[in-house]
Amino acid sequence: MSSLMIAGHEFSSRLFTGTGKYASADAMMASINASGSELVTLSLRRMDLKHQSDNILQPLQQHGIKLLPNTSGARTAKEAVFAAQLAREALETNWVKLEIHPDPRYLMPDAIETLAAAEELVKQGFVVMPYVHADPVLCKRLEEVGCQCVMPLGSPIGSNMGLASKPFLDIIIEQSQVPVIVDAGIGAPSDAALALEMGADAVLVNTAMAVAQNPAQMSLAFKMAVEAGRLAYESGLGEKRQQAQASSPFTDFVGSLS
Amino acid sequence: MSNEITLYVNDSPLSFLGKTVMDLLHQLDKPSQGIAVAIDQTVVPKSVWATTMLESDMNVFIFESIAGG
Repeated sequence: MSSLMIAGHEFSSRLFTGTGKYASADAMMASINASGSELVTLSLRRMDLKHQSDNILQPLQQHGIKLLPNTSGARTAKEAVFAAQLAREALETNWVKLEIHPDPRYLMPDAIETLAAAEELVKQGFVVMPYVHADPVLCKRLEEVGCQCVMPLGSPIGSNMGLASKPFLDIIIEQSQVPVIVDAGIGAPSDAALALEMGADAVLVNTAMAVAQNPAQMSLAFKMAVEAGRLAYESGLGEKRQQAQASSPFTDFVGSLS
Repeated sequence: MSNEITLYVNDSPLSFLGKTVMDLLHQLDKPSQGIAVAIDQTVVPKSVWATTMLESDMNVFIFESIAGG
């Protein structure tokens, strides 16, 4: 199975994950380890000065996992650029998952603000990984302004509805010159396998792993699904047909008995 | 006598006894790993925390990394 290159960094796992929604830091680490993921997302928030928060940074760094801060919470391009600058300081990485969703109900990414922020962040030297709707035109525009990959959604964040955007993901994958990472909505390992079979370069899965009754086992299931999907893609899938085509040769079986 | 000033840290008033951003983090007993500091809307790089002076009524924001997807 081939590895994936993003901005000169080589990933052997095509499964990226997040750190949100886990019951504990231990459950999160067990799940990330089972997934084999080498890139995980984190968020940034104003510090609670009265309480100590869980330190999830240390175990991630101890395991050598690359951190991908996101700009979640930003509602405009300006806020997202500020969030990315803060994240670069806090986590000492110039990689950023750019996400701008002003509406908390559906968390739909704002295409106009995202394109403006992407252009500015690329100028400032960031490796920009934009989370967007499965919009082939927008993905092309983001590639043109210098994004190192695109992250179109399968369906709304946390919805577990799978690849509702499949016909548009097919177009994005066919057109893109940068890696395509399907993000959001992937609810089951079969969704992840399908994305990889279609030729997506990777998937990002968080909710489906974190809220499973057994997160570590579900993460292993996702790992296997992503590997199966990629292997199938690289092996070359057969074409779909309307009519049957026999797998066994049509020999004169009955006739041969007489 | 110490020069005690009032800062606004993450929108809450705070009596501050030191001089620099680094002093503030010490006073709050916060780790320097995984955090970022801004004054108003400008990020203060870690490399200048020890030399960036804080003045009365400044708006300081401290951010930390948390779990997220």
